[in-house]
Amino acid sequence: MTTTYGKPTFTQTLSAALAETRLRMLNISRYPGQLVLEIIIPVIFAAMPMLLGQATGGDQAAENFAANTGTTNYVAYLLIGSNVFTLVSAAFWHIAYWLRFEQETGTLEAVYLTPTSSITLASGVALYSITRGLFSSLTAYIIGCLIFQVNPFQGDVLLALLFIGFGLLPLYGMALLFGAVVLKVKESNALINLMQWVVSFLMGLFFPVAVLPPFVKAIAYLFPPTWMTNGVRSALLGTGFFFEKWYLDLAVLWVFMLFAPLFGFWVFNRTERGIQRNEGVGQF
Amino acid sequence: MFGHVIIENLVKTYLTRQRKGLFKSEVKHVPALKGVSFEIKPGEIFGLLGPNGAGKTTLIKCLTTLLLPTSGRAHINGYELTQQDNAIRATIGCMLMGERGLYWKLTARENLIFFGALYHLNPKDRRRRADELIERLNMGDIADRSVETYSSGQRMKLAFAKALINDAPLLVLDEPTNTLDVPSARELRAVVRDLNEKEGKTVIYTTHIMSEAETLCDRVAIVDHGETLALGTVPELKASLNRGAVIRIEGVISAKASQAVSNLPGVSQAATTAINGHNQLTVMAHDQQTVLPRLIETLTAHGAVMQKITPEEVTLEDVFIARTGRTLADDTRVK
Repeated sequence: MTTTYGKPTFTQTLSAALAETRLRMLNISRYPGQLVLEIIIPVIFAAMPMLLGQATGGDQAAENFAANTGTTNYVAYLLIGSNVFTLVSAAFWHIAYWLRFEQETGTLEAVYLTPTSSITLASGVALYSITRGLFSSLTAYIIGCLIFQVNPFQGDVLLALLFIGFGLLPLYGMALLFGAVVLKVKESNALINLMQWVVSFLMGLFFPVAVLPPFVKAIAYLFPPTWMTNGVRSALLGTGFFFEKWYLDLAVLWVFMLFAPLFGFWVFNRTERGIQRNEGVGQF
Repeated sequence: MFGHVIIENLVKTYLTRQRKGLFKSEVKHVPALKGVSFEIKPGEIFGLLGPNGAGKTTLIKCLTTLLLPTSGRAHINGYELTQQDNAIRATIGCMLMGERGLYWKLTARENLIFFGALYHLNPKDRRRRADELIERLNMGDIADRSVETYSSGQRMKLAFAKALINDAPLLVLDEPTNTLDVPSARELRAVVRDLNEKEGKTVIYTTHIMSEAETLCDRVAIVDHGETLALGTVPELKASLNRGAVIRIEGVISAKASQAVSNLPGVSQAATTAINGHNQLTVMAHDQQTVLPRLIETLTAHGAVMQKITPEEVTLEDVFIARTGRTLADDTRVK
C-alpha cells in the first residue's frame, strides 16, 4: 500500500509524458487511413497553385515567380509552404482535438484525477504531434518533389531542419494558448478551422509575406511560423532571410522559443484554475 | 494520516448564466454545498446518500481536487485540499465517471498500464499491477480486446480496476454498481469489503441503492440541498426515527389522497413513489394500531384503490424520507 507521497522524479514525469505519447500513437495506429491522407493532402494542396501558375504564366512562369520570391523553383517553394503548414496545422489540431475529445468522452476528468500535471500530458501530446507532423510533412515533401521532378535535398538541408526545430517549440506554445480557449469555450472545430486559415495567410503559405499590406505584414512577423517558413525556404532555395543573415533570423525564433511556451503554459494554467473554480473540466 | 478525511465547512457555489431572452442573460449563484462538515475515520466504509442534485457529486469532486471549493477546508490523507492537491491525487483511487473515463480504442490492459504511468508507477509495476487487477476482477478473457467491444457492465468493472491501479489507502467510488448485473454487483461489493477488511482501505461510497448502503457501509451521511441532514451508523439512523412504524400501501392513490393522509393525526410523514405502474404510499406513524384504521378510511374516502398493505420495519429509505420529505427518486436540483 502507498504509505508516503514524494514528488515525482524527472524520470517519472518523463515516463508519464511518454505514456501519453504512446497512447496517442496507439490510438492513431487504429486509423491508418488518416495517416495516408496526411501525406497526400499537402501534395494536392500545393499542386493546385502550381498548376494554376503554369496555366497562367506559361513559359515565363518560373521567371515571373522568381521576380517576386527570389527563386525559380516554384515547385519546392509551394511544397515547402504546404508542408510547413501541415506542421502548423497539426500542432493546433492535435492539441485542441486532444482536449475537446477528452472533454467529450470523460477521459479529461479521469487524467485530471491523477498526480500527473496537465502540462506533462500536453508535452506528451506535443511530442506525438511533432513526430506525426514531421513524418507526414517530410514524406509529403519528398513525394511531391519526386512527382514534380525537383531535387528535395537542394540547398542547406541541415539549416532548414534547424529552422524547423527552433520553430516547433514556440508553435506548441501558441497551440497551448489555443487549447486554453478550447477548454474554456468547449468548442474546437469552428475555432481551429478559422485559426488555421488565418495562420496560413499570415505565414505566407503560397506567397512571400513581403507582398502583404504593411499592417498585416507587421502582424505576420509576430508569428513564429512565418519565420520558420521563410527560414526553410531561404535555407533550401536561397530566397532571402528577413534579416539577411541566417543566424539573426534564428535568433528571433530563439526569442520566440523562450517566451511563447511560457506564455502558453501560463494562460493554460490560469484557464484551468478558472474552470475548476466553477464548472470543472468535466463539463462538456 | 492515510485514510482519514476531515471536512470543515465546505462551501461550493456555482455561477451560471440564466437566459432572459435572445441576447440577455443574468448571472445566477447556485449553492451546491452549504457548509458541509464531517469526518471519515481511517478504515471505514462511508456511505453518501442523497437524491439527484443533493450535492454528493459536487462534494466528491471537491475532495478529489476536480473542483475548487468556494470556501472551507478539508484534509484528505493528511494533505490539505487546494494546497497539496498532487499529494491528494497520488493517494486516492477514484471511480467517478463510470464507463466514461476509459479510452475505448485501447484494451483494458492498455488502459490500466497507461493510468499506472500517470500515477508514476514504474513500467514493471504497471504491468504487474494490471495483471493482478485483471485476475482479481475476472477480466482475463476480455483484457486484450478494445473497450469499445465491452458491455456496459464490463466497462464499469474496468473503471473499478482503474480506481485500484495505484493501490491507494482511500477509495472514492461513485455508484460503482450502476449498470452491473446482480452477480457482478455482488462480486464488486465483495471486493470492496475485502479491500476494507483485509487491506484496511477507507472507502467513500455513494449509492442510490439503500440495501447496498445498509449492508456495506459502516456509517452513512444523508445529504440534501448541499447540507448534511443526518450522519451515523445504520442502526443509529434507524433508531433516530423514534418509535416509528412504517406502513406501505400499494395501489392507485391520488395526490389528494396522499395529502389527506399526511394531515392525519399520528402521521409524521407520507410520501408517494411510482412502482411498476402503480403507486406506493409510504407512511410513517407513531402508533400503527391507531393510525391504520384511520389511514384506510381516509384513502377509501378519497377514492384510492388499495391492493396491498404492508407494515414494515424501518429502512434507510424511511430515514431518508423522514429527514427530507422526499424519496431518493426525486430530483432536487436547483432550478
